[in-house]
Amino acid sequence: MKNQFCQLGIYAFCFFAFINISFFIQPGHITIYLAGDSTMSDKEVKAYPETGWGMPFHAFFDSTVTVKNIAKNGRSTKSFIAEGLWSSISNNLHNGDYVLIQFGHNDEVPTKTNYTPPADFKANLVKFITETRAKMGNPVLLTPVARRKFGKDGTVQGTHDAYSAIVRAVAQEQNVPLIDLDKESQALVQKFGPDDSKMLYNYLVPGENPNYPDGKQDDTHFSELGARKMAEIILADIKALKLDLANRIVISHFGIK
Amino acid sequence: MKTKFYKPALVFFAILLLSFVPPVEHIKVYLIGDSTMCLYTAKQFPINGWGMPFANYFDKDVTIDNRARGGRSTRTFLAENRWQPIADSLKAGDYVLMQFGHNDEGPPPQYADRYTPVPDYKVNLIKFITETRAKNAIPILITPVSRRNFDKDGNAKETHIPYTKAVFEIGEEYKVPVIDLDKISREYYQQLGPVRSKLLFMELDSAEHPNYPLGRHDNTHFNEYGARKMAQIVLAELKAQHIPLADHIVVGANKANVNPQAK
Repeated sequence: MKNQFCQLGIYAFCFFAFINISFFIQPGHITIYLAGDSTMSDKEVKAYPETGWGMPFHAFFDSTVTVKNIAKNGRSTKSFIAEGLWSSISNNLHNGDYVLIQFGHNDEVPTKTNYTPPADFKANLVKFITETRAKMGNPVLLTPVARRKFGKDGTVQGTHDAYSAIVRAVAQEQNVPLIDLDKESQALVQKFGPDDSKMLYNYLVPGENPNYPDGKQDDTHFSELGARKMAEIILADIKALKLDLANRIVISHFGIK
Repeated sequence: MKTKFYKPALVFFAILLLSFVPPVEHIKVYLIGDSTMCLYTAKQFPINGWGMPFANYFDKDVTIDNRARGGRSTRTFLAENRWQPIADSLKAGDYVLMQFGHNDEGPPPQYADRYTPVPDYKVNLIKFITETRAKNAIPILITPVSRRNFDKDGNAKETHIPYTKAVFEIGEEYKVPVIDLDKISREYYQQLGPVRSKLLFMELDSAEHPNYPLGRHDNTHFNEYGARKMAQIVLAELKAQHIPLADHIVVGANKANVNPQAK
């Protein structure tokens, strides 16, 4: 008799424990890690309105997704690894997680301490891919987002051609989904044209914004508008590539008046 | 042996007690108004009220408490008991920035639930002013931010005429500073023109943003970029009118020079 009660108790305990656990671990919860530089990173309030595209990107997904933006200003693949930022991702990766990888802005500048020669850039990208896959995670490669640079005839000029080509080649060799953000963001900047495209970047006249008393003319870093437009390009590609992630885009029934 | 334990405990409790003492002269700025000013959640992004970016530009002595709510007129803001808790908690040196009109002016029958005729609108604003001053706090009037409305010749049209006029009349009669956001925002739309000015507003293609699967074409509500531009206007006016609150606007150290290479 006593034994029966004991058994019942154990079953009940298991049952309730299971229910409890199911509240904590949502089925299929995943994390998207963002690995990259200042064009992607979360900004300090004192740098506003400069905005990384990882900031508006957060709002695109449903409650089964956590976006962790590990991107940091000034980082190349080399310094991202050297400072332990990469291992903070790889050590925590779980089955089904995503890693969106966008580098190049700092890798490609020979005068910078973070300069990463083409061969090393390639090797670092392959390292990110291999170590993501070792944890059953999903790597996605992005070419570096465009700078605002126009030729005299008003045509957008590429500023990352060599490093974007490396990203594309690695994506093909490693069979990794590619978001050609360099190309697509150049197209957007072209569509806006030499004047209006300033609204996408951190352009401020003197006295306009308290954080930039002397104004700012920045052809690399985005305004809130530009950051969101870039994030929207990436989202459209996630859908077009039919990544599993696309099934976790928030479904809104929201309408305000 | 005993004292060894007591000393750290005492220090701990002393610090704990100190942490309850409010910082000297901390200023609270209440924002009261409508959907063009209020807070929004990520589910509603990229819509932003201008009160959201506004809060990012003050030093640590100031807290911005955004109590604005979508769809509210002065009348419904009062009727829903949104004002009284603010009036009760105001202390000397606090501010109340008030921007209403978008819903007060909504004509019946469609907007009968919020419509507030101009005379009532004035009575309600005067109530906010009087009760703010009764607590030695400082009221600031803001004319309703302009809607985006161009005529066929490309001229930005006035969209709140009687309500903006009412704000000025009260401002003069009660000696309350008026920030003419209606006019300055409209001049800014004019400067941008009919096409570029859309970039300030909730103007989304379908499929552009998952929060708005059907897209959105809205000439009243701002996106993040437009909201920040509006906030900058209000910040600049606080400075231009030498309102003491402006002494608490941050002075950033970011450099203007173009950095040829990305950081």
